[in-house]
Amino acid sequence: MWELLNTWLISPFDYGFMRRAVVGGLALSLAAPPLGVFLVLRGMSLIGDAMAHAILPGVALGFLLAGFSLPIMSIGGVLFGLMVALLAGAVSKMGGQREDAAMASFFIISLAAGVMLISIGGSSVDLTHVLFGSILAINSTALLLIAGISTLIVLTLAVVFRALVVECLDPLFLRGQSRRSGWVHSVFLGLLVLNLTAGFQTLGTLMAVGLMMLPATSARFWSKRLEGLIGIAIVLAMVASTGGLLLSFHLDIPSGPSIILLAGFGYLFSALFGRYHSLAAKLRRKTTPLEVEHGA
Amino acid sequence: MSQRSLSRLQLHNLHLAQARRTVLEHIEGDFKPGAITALIGANGAGKSTLIQAIMGELRPISGEVVCTVPKERRAWLPQQLALDLTFPMSVEELVMTGSWPSHGALSGYCAAHYRKGREIMARLGISHLAHRPLGELSGGQRQRALFGRTLMQEAELLLLDEPFANVDSETVDVLVRILRQMADDGATIIVVLHDMDHLRRLADEVLMLNGGHGRWVAPSALTHQHAPAQVVPFSLGGRHVGTA
Repeated sequence: MWELLNTWLISPFDYGFMRRAVVGGLALSLAAPPLGVFLVLRGMSLIGDAMAHAILPGVALGFLLAGFSLPIMSIGGVLFGLMVALLAGAVSKMGGQREDAAMASFFIISLAAGVMLISIGGSSVDLTHVLFGSILAINSTALLLIAGISTLIVLTLAVVFRALVVECLDPLFLRGQSRRSGWVHSVFLGLLVLNLTAGFQTLGTLMAVGLMMLPATSARFWSKRLEGLIGIAIVLAMVASTGGLLLSFHLDIPSGPSIILLAGFGYLFSALFGRYHSLAAKLRRKTTPLEVEHGA
Repeated sequence: MSQRSLSRLQLHNLHLAQARRTVLEHIEGDFKPGAITALIGANGAGKSTLIQAIMGELRPISGEVVCTVPKERRAWLPQQLALDLTFPMSVEELVMTGSWPSHGALSGYCAAHYRKGREIMARLGISHLAHRPLGELSGGQRQRALFGRTLMQEAELLLLDEPFANVDSETVDVLVRILRQMADDGATIIVVLHDMDHLRRLADEVLMLNGGHGRWVAPSALTHQHAPAQVVPFSLGGRHVGTA
C-alpha cells in the first residue's frame, strides 16, 4: 500500500522539474482563484478569457526580442494586457459601447497578432509552448517570478479586499465614498493581467484562465459566503494543479490540459452533487416550514 | 419642522440633459437641513436625472448644484433592483461597510465599530438577521439592512429612490421613524415617492417634476387635492410624461 502511494504520489517529486512545477502550481492556486471568484461575482467571467488573449502579443514580442526568456515575455505580456484593458475602457467610455464588447474586439485582434508574431519569429513548437505551456521549462528564475507575482497578488488583494467587495455589490456606493474608487477597478484588472502572465508558463496563455475560473465557478456550488467561496476555490485549485501534474507525469500527457481538465471534472462534479444550486440539491430540496422571524 | 439654518444643498437654475436631450430646465431648490423633501413626478419626468446631478454623477449643461455636505457623508439608496441580491454578503457585513468614511476602506473594523453596527441593527429590528446572507432576506429586511449602512455612514445628505417599494408595512413604519430621527438630527433628506400615503406621513416639502420643470408645492395642498387617492396614478412600466 505504502509502496503504491509512494510510487504514485511521492516519487514523481524526486525530479527537480516536478518539484518546481508543483510549487509553481500551488503558488498560482493561491493567487488565481480569489480573482476568479471576484470575476464571477461581478458577472465578468469571460473577461478573464479576454485578458488571457490580450497578453499574447506582448508575450510574443518578448519572445521575438529575447527568445524564450520568461521575465522578458512576462513584462511584455503585462504591458500589453494593461494596454488592451485601458484601450477597451477608453473605447467603451468614448463610444457608449459596453466594455465587454470593446474587450471582445480587442482580444480577438490580440490573439491574431500574437499568433502571427510567434509564427514569424519561431516554430510551431514555440507557438504550442506559449499557447499551452510546459512545466518542463520552469526553471528557478521562472519559479521565483511566479511565486513573486502570486505573493504580490495575495497581498494586494488583502489590502483592497473590502473595496473590491463593495464595488461588486454596489459600485455607486463606492463611488460616493471615495475619490479613488476608479482605482479599485484598475488595480483589479492589473492583478488579473499579472496573474495570467504568471500562469502562462505552466498552463499556457489560453489555459491560465482555467485555474482562475473553474475553481471559482465550482465553489459557487459549495458555499454562499465570500470567505467560503475563496477558501474552497483555493483548495480546489491546489488539488487540481497537484493532481493534474501527477496525472500528466504518470500518463505522459501534457500538463496544462490535464490540470485544467481535472479542475473541469471538479466543476462537473460540483454542478451535479454540490450543496447549493446543483442537480442533487434541486432533487433533495424540500419546502422549509414557515420561519419565526421575530421570536425571542 | 424645517430649521432656519443655512441650506447645505442648493440648486441654481439647473439645466440637465441625458444623451443631449434636455430633461429638466430652470430647476431651483433650497433643501434645508432637518427637512424631508419628497420628489414626485411621472416616470421619465427626470427624478433619477436630478438625483444623479445632486450626487455629482451627471454634469449640468448650465446652472449649478451647490452642496456643502462632504462626499462621503452623502448617501444614495437606489431602488433595490439595482443591487445584486445573490451577492454572498451578510447583513452585518453590509451594515459595516457604512463605517468607511470614518476609518477608510482599507483598514479593519475595531470593536467600537462593531458595537455601533449592532446598535443600529437593533434599532432597525434586524439583530436576529445579522449573519443571514442578503440573498435570503425579504424585500423589507433588505431595505432595513441598507438603511443600516446609511445610519452607519452618519449620512448628512440622504437620497432615496422609492424606499418603500416591495416593503412590508411594518418595515415602512420603522423606516419612516428612522428617517424622521435622522432629519431631526439635522440630515437633509430627499425621497422619491409614488405613494400619497407615504408622502403625507413623511414630506415636509414637495418638489414636483413635470414637463421638464420643477415646482415646489406644500404637501398639504397636494394631499388635499388628491384626498381620497392612495396612489398617484402613474404606471410603473410606461415612460409617458405628464403634459409634455
